[in-house]
Amino acid sequence: MTNLQEDSSTKADRHATRFVPGQPDMWVFVLFESLLFTGYFSVYLVGRIQNRELYLQSQAALDLRFGVFNTIALLLSSWAIARCVQASREGAYRDALRDAFLTIGFGVAFLVSKVLEWGKEIRLGNTFTSNEFFQHFFFLTSIHLLHLLIGFIVMGVAVYQLRSPARRSQQLVETCATYWHTVDFLWVLIFALLYVVR
Amino acid sequence: MSSLRRLLWNFRNHPKRELWFAWWVMVVFYQLYGVLFFLVTRVQPPPSPAWTTPMIVQWFDARHDGILAGFGIVFLISGLCAPMNALLAYSMRRMSVSRIFGYSYLVMYSLSAIPGMLVMAVAMTVGAMRPDRDPEMIRWLYDFAFLSFSGTMGVFMIGSLVWLIAILIDKNDVFPKWFGYLGLCNGLTEVVVAPAWIFQRGVFAWNGAIAWWINMVVFVTYTACFIVLLRKMIVREDFGTGPLPDLPSKPERSQADSVGAMQ
Repeated sequence: MTNLQEDSSTKADRHATRFVPGQPDMWVFVLFESLLFTGYFSVYLVGRIQNRELYLQSQAALDLRFGVFNTIALLLSSWAIARCVQASREGAYRDALRDAFLTIGFGVAFLVSKVLEWGKEIRLGNTFTSNEFFQHFFFLTSIHLLHLLIGFIVMGVAVYQLRSPARRSQQLVETCATYWHTVDFLWVLIFALLYVVR
Repeated sequence: MSSLRRLLWNFRNHPKRELWFAWWVMVVFYQLYGVLFFLVTRVQPPPSPAWTTPMIVQWFDARHDGILAGFGIVFLISGLCAPMNALLAYSMRRMSVSRIFGYSYLVMYSLSAIPGMLVMAVAMTVGAMRPDRDPEMIRWLYDFAFLSFSGTMGVFMIGSLVWLIAILIDKNDVFPKWFGYLGLCNGLTEVVVAPAWIFQRGVFAWNGAIAWWINMVVFVTYTACFIVLLRKMIVREDFGTGPLPDLPSKPERSQADSVGAMQ
């Protein structure tokens, strides 16, 4: 009897550890992107070690308020998409749809703020070609913004799934959420490296 | 002897002989491409765009024989791109998606071989051919060759995206979805080459850590994955139009092979 119980509990554990939200394939993407950005961050850090003064001076020219606002906007968007997944799991599709639009809304807030920040930096004379720090700044923020733009397409897929009772694939909604969380996760690292680490 | 007979039988009767031919061409081509560009001609990894004219002339001098011999072979084998691209397009034709995907991919990749490989090879050969040529001309050819090579990245980006979309909407399970997502990763690293048009030094120059080295690692991973996945696709191919069957188990495969040999 005890053996039987142990067997069933280990099976359940194994099942629990094997389960990932959404398509496991999207987690492979998360792994690849994390490795790729680790490469970009390493190059940035090596440059920073070699030219510390320049990086510190240029970093001082950044407006931390934009960085904080952007981080809060994306963290809120991640919170909204997590609620969306939760609602969709419970079958509350109207709430899930509202949370999906909320996620897109926070994403748009990030996009607008990012464009305003770029405009401000360019007006101050800090462009992509100004110096090494700003090369990294514009590169990392643009490649991240590209991920965010793809995120809007991904959220379009989630909304499309949630809208019709004929579709509503929980797996696809969770796959989209995983992508969106990756965009947020990468931003938190970029924010820490570009704005905070001194 | 029996293995020779088996090979001959497969050559004459195997229903997948064209697919296997294209796949082996792909394996051989990529190996040769690596050997010719990295070891024989030694034009990759790329040198710095910021070099002075005497340094560039010396660079060509040091590679004179390698460039002439290596690119001679490149010109000879460049046509192997055709069966290779055909196999890639075939994978998309086997999917439950519009033919537009396969055709766009085929046209794009066929065109990108011209600037990405042939024009680059011609410019390099012209540069190496007459060491007594005006050094400024040699410098011009150097820029022309490397920018021609980097200039194909946009095509590769769209190619990755075409394949990615085809894989994600395909219902025949020809490729796993994770390879589609890896295509997105690969496509985004091609975007990163664009700053090579602006910078002559640093991580974004055509030889930079971000614009070349990281991209090369991603591209090699992507290529290795699709070579393995194309092999699996050929093994699974049933020449139908519905979902591809699962990979047969090893005993089943060896049984099928021995039946083939017997016949």
